[in-house]
Amino acid sequence: MDFRTVILTVLVTAGFTANQVAQAVDAAAADEFKKTVQPVLEEYCYDCHGDGENRGGVALDAFNSSTNFVEGRDVWWRVLKNLRAGLMPPAKKAQPSKEQKELIVQWIKHSVFLADPLNPDPGRVTIRRLNRVEYQNTIRDLIGVDFDAQGEFPPDDTGHGFDNIGDVLTMSPMLLEKYMVAAEEIIAQAVPVVDRVPPEQVIPGAQFQNGADGGNKNFGPRSLSYYSPAFVTNTFSARLAGQYQLNVDLMVNEKYVDDVFDYNKCLLIFRVDGKELLKKDFSWEGGKPYHFNYDQDWAAGDHQLDFELRPLTPGLEQTRTLSLQITGVTVRGPMAKENWVKPKNYARFFPKDVPETVADRREYAQELLGDFARRAFRRPVDNQTPDRLADLAESVYEQPGKTFEAGVAEAMVAVLASPRFIFREESAEPASGQPYALVDEFALASRLSYFLWSSMPDEELFQQAAAGTLRENLSAQVARMLADKRAVALEKNFVGQWLQARDIETVPIEARSVLAREQKFDPQQEAMRKRFRELNDKTVELTQAEKDELASLRTTLFRSRRQPRADLTPELRRAMQQETEDVFDYILREDRSLLELLDSDYTFVNERLARHYGITNVVGQEMRRVTLPPDSPRGGILTEGTVLAVTSNPTRTSPVKRGVFILDNILGTPPLPPPPNIPPLEDALKGLTNRAPTLRESLAVHRENVLCASCHDRMDPLGLALENFNAMGMWRDQEFGQPIDPSGKLVTGEEFSNIKDLKRALVKNHAEDFYRTLTQKLLTYALGRGLDYYDVETVDQIVARIEKSGGKPSALLAGIIESAPFQKTRVSSPATAEINLKPDQIVGAAGGTTKERL
Amino acid sequence: MKKKLTANENISLQRHAGLSRRHFLRGLGVCLALPAFESLLPTRLLAAAVSPEGNLATTATGAPLRTAFVYFPNGAIPAAWWPATEGTDFPLSRTLQPLAANQKQIQVIGGLDHLNAMAGMDGGGDHARANGTFLTGVRLKKSATDIHAGISIDQAIARQVGQFTRFPSLELTCDAGRNTGACDSGYSCAYQYNLSWSSPNTPMTPEANPRQVFERLFGAGGPGERVENAKRRRQEQRSVLDFVMQDASAMEHRLGSRDQDKLDQYLTGVRELETRIQKAERFGDVKDPMVPTPAGIPADYAQHIQLMYDIMVLAFQTDSTRVATMLLAHDGSNRSFADIGIPEGHHDLSHHQGNPEKIEKITEIDLFYVQQFGKFLDKLAATKDVDGNSILHNSMIVYGGGNADGNRHTHVNLPILLAGAGGGTVTPGRFVKQGGKPATNLFLSMADRMGLKNLERFGDSTGRLENI
Repeated sequence: MDFRTVILTVLVTAGFTANQVAQAVDAAAADEFKKTVQPVLEEYCYDCHGDGENRGGVALDAFNSSTNFVEGRDVWWRVLKNLRAGLMPPAKKAQPSKEQKELIVQWIKHSVFLADPLNPDPGRVTIRRLNRVEYQNTIRDLIGVDFDAQGEFPPDDTGHGFDNIGDVLTMSPMLLEKYMVAAEEIIAQAVPVVDRVPPEQVIPGAQFQNGADGGNKNFGPRSLSYYSPAFVTNTFSARLAGQYQLNVDLMVNEKYVDDVFDYNKCLLIFRVDGKELLKKDFSWEGGKPYHFNYDQDWAAGDHQLDFELRPLTPGLEQTRTLSLQITGVTVRGPMAKENWVKPKNYARFFPKDVPETVADRREYAQELLGDFARRAFRRPVDNQTPDRLADLAESVYEQPGKTFEAGVAEAMVAVLASPRFIFREESAEPASGQPYALVDEFALASRLSYFLWSSMPDEELFQQAAAGTLRENLSAQVARMLADKRAVALEKNFVGQWLQARDIETVPIEARSVLAREQKFDPQQEAMRKRFRELNDKTVELTQAEKDELASLRTTLFRSRRQPRADLTPELRRAMQQETEDVFDYILREDRSLLELLDSDYTFVNERLARHYGITNVVGQEMRRVTLPPDSPRGGILTEGTVLAVTSNPTRTSPVKRGVFILDNILGTPPLPPPPNIPPLEDALKGLTNRAPTLRESLAVHRENVLCASCHDRMDPLGLALENFNAMGMWRDQEFGQPIDPSGKLVTGEEFSNIKDLKRALVKNHAEDFYRTLTQKLLTYALGRGLDYYDVETVDQIVARIEKSGGKPSALLAGIIESAPFQKTRVSSPATAEINLKPDQIVGAAGGTTKERL
Repeated sequence: MKKKLTANENISLQRHAGLSRRHFLRGLGVCLALPAFESLLPTRLLAAAVSPEGNLATTATGAPLRTAFVYFPNGAIPAAWWPATEGTDFPLSRTLQPLAANQKQIQVIGGLDHLNAMAGMDGGGDHARANGTFLTGVRLKKSATDIHAGISIDQAIARQVGQFTRFPSLELTCDAGRNTGACDSGYSCAYQYNLSWSSPNTPMTPEANPRQVFERLFGAGGPGERVENAKRRRQEQRSVLDFVMQDASAMEHRLGSRDQDKLDQYLTGVRELETRIQKAERFGDVKDPMVPTPAGIPADYAQHIQLMYDIMVLAFQTDSTRVATMLLAHDGSNRSFADIGIPEGHHDLSHHQGNPEKIEKITEIDLFYVQQFGKFLDKLAATKDVDGNSILHNSMIVYGGGNADGNRHTHVNLPILLAGAGGGTVTPGRFVKQGGKPATNLFLSMADRMGLKNLERFGDSTGRLENI
């Protein structure tokens, strides 16, 4: 404990107010400030931020002996960030030495933030509601149901770029209702409510074969083309004679093509033991399912099931690849009760037979439901819980006509609708007078599992927690969890959001417009544009002829449709997303340097993506690691298709968005938002009459304005370095007939001539910035809360650990998992913590403050 | 060929109804065939039966009085939005042309502002502010996680009139997806994707999937099965609600104040569901509209919007709610309008910087949104209410946005119009310039007409709006 903590503790226990405490601490800190820190600030900062100057509203000499440093925390936090990022003092001014910088950083951490390196403040996480992904995964692991939470629940709100932030995960009445409905549907799907059903066997479509194709697929459907005859068969072996029921599931499929129709028809015949049961014409009905049921009186032994397809319209144009899908045939029977069996899943939920007596039944219900609740709530439950659940079950199964199983199922619905399931409640170990306490091992198990798996803890974690051995075995458990296939969640959800790779699924990109920019200058097109502007700008009423001309120009210029030569098809988008995930996964699993995320001589592609990137000799759909030729611009996240496309506008690249992306997600120094009134740039570009300006030219105009330059000098060079990649992530050499110039200079001084240079510069000079940014992002995601000033110490410790390891992901993960905020929680707010006012509930009351949190 | 199901199959079908029905519904047409009104008249109007004073959300003629707020993103090109002259018989502007058929039922209101959406000390973030301020009228707390807005006007109204309908309010959106990454300039995404707030930190998440809204309103299953399905669901829910209510109360005692807010939100939802179950028991079930359930979110944006508007019409028609909000797209939306020949992103274009081609395209997008709204008004105008007037006559529907000029992010003289005659309490068919008043003054005047008591101020209101 350092002396400030001592002072704090003494004063707090003595009953001083937060303000008094802060003042006392301030006096001590001010002394230190004058001696060591002020001289450095005077020399390097006061030219602009002191001695009467306050550029950007910051005057550092306002914090003198009579001022409270702690209250200036937000300003000092900015000082720390800008100093570390090399943004301040500006590159052209005199720079403090490394030691001087470190002195200021340490002073801010210890005298302003009051950080204690040996016992950092863990902060506090607001109770977290399961987000959509976590809900879906938890249901999968708890009950074995594949619930479509993305389709059934509204999107979760996000904060700091992540959708698992406790404060922002709110719950509206509509969402509560959805949780109720989901609980009912999930339990209805998984938990049997009777103990005997007729035996049932599903023959998947793929198992209907014809001798010639000898397919070896055993699962999934089988598709038969409308255009060619087919015969497929399967032999079902009935063990017993009796009444059977056959359910035939079919679906009509097509490959959608805009504006064309396919009038082909086919005839399908379904035979059992040679006898026709179904004979029906099918036409184009994209995506329509068909179900047919047949009763059969079968002898024991083999029965042959055949499908025969005959095309009915030879010679008709085949435009939509029509096919009839045999989804499967379900054989149910024998229907006689004595042959019935336990339903699928029965043993999973009801391991024993239902007892005879009322008391035994109740005890069984308590046992089943207590265990289910323990797993669902992810911690031991109190004694009342199984009792109350059994009450609920009993109230159902004691009704006439209701089964025991139906009652238990109803109580399970209540478990899934309970706030104890929907929210992640945490408990802490006894604090014994300390301000911070370890979270208990059940909470730790959940923190681990939701961090690495986006799902509930498994039985092993529960057992470790119950035995109190999880903390002892932490690294072994983490290794085990990372080896588990559920760990893919970290890539899908963390990487998918940090690098916005998830957005590739939906980002609107108009291939035609994107590619048009790479075509040579078209004087005819330009003449039309000019004429359009001329007519459109006329202030007098247009003649009818002019109106017609304007309408026709509008159509030609803005509405023409042509098929583009390349497009971001769903298949390509998936491959891009996979690339981003695979690269991270590879570095994580092989424990390679994190800097390979910035620059590497390999990436992951399949044939389609390789073609898009101009990489040759890759055949096949599966993604694989390829070593890139030395002159390849790819390798590293900046040149991945996901990043390049999600930072683009629908019709063009956006160097500004790309620059912001790098500043925010790679270097950790997001620029300030644009000012409210952006001056028009048109005038400055009027000189170019013979062609449209390139983006570089447009942006250059920005930077002539001093106000714009302060941020655009940082964003634009980064974004422009990527101009060789169009909005779809394809390489290009020119835009509008002008060669692309990717060269530039970072605000920190390094010059580069192309993207390869820039990547090398980032690795060489900005590794620490990158480690820090990645640590902050991953810590935010792991904790489910935004980082605050008191987390600076924790982040610094993790970054130091990464550097010491030579940039290993294992150091990053272990650093986060072992960190104070991951392991602990605040017991009560320290004296300097902000006072959280209960939000005003008065109708129409003005909300919020104007103070900006940085 | 089709045989009767065995009892066992029946059980299995019912038990799997929830999950197989989506499959079953695929392939059905996307637009709702709106049924004739007579078939949907509630057996008994709840308001008439319960309202002690009789004028809460009720017209002088005893019909339900409804209000809705429809938000369109990124402002509107002012020159094309505003009519040339004031008064009655004003000439419709280019953007408002699609409302010609209902010109007598709309009031274009000029001079309404949201000063709390201006930058002030908060810097960038005009889209978040435009969106989050629109119905709240408060200054948003600039934070990515510590969200704090204010109650929105629709919720203030729903608090008092919600008791008369099965759903106190309905929140809809046509923004189906959500991007990752931070939202506007340090503001939480919650401000940009929610229009309606039931408390300063509880946004009322809007629903984008027409199937789900429809099922929530009328029950799952096909036409004719919904009333039974809803009844069975209510029975199941009752015992479950008791259990979770106890769980939530016990849990609330164990938690700190931040966490308690979350549990409060949960409990509010539980109580609302309980209330709805009680209402259904007291007043009977909603009439099944006997139209097929919509299949999901149509790929075509115009169809999606129409489907959501159709559901709003149905909700009003069946008196399922009298308060609704619709966020067509969040402010700052960069949707591509390739369907109408405008492939560029809406937001990207809206910073047109005087480029006439871009202005033209934005005008076309503004027009597209008004066309969709026009069709909605057509349907409301064609639907008769209990008192013989149209539902449009017995409604007050705000259509507007929180950015005036999207190019410069201004928040004064917002594009706002009020459709419907409020059951005869407002005078549509005019263009009225209010000369720089808070938009919340309009909301306060609407709340008055909805019969709200004790609402002296709302947001940054400075008084009532004269002359509406």
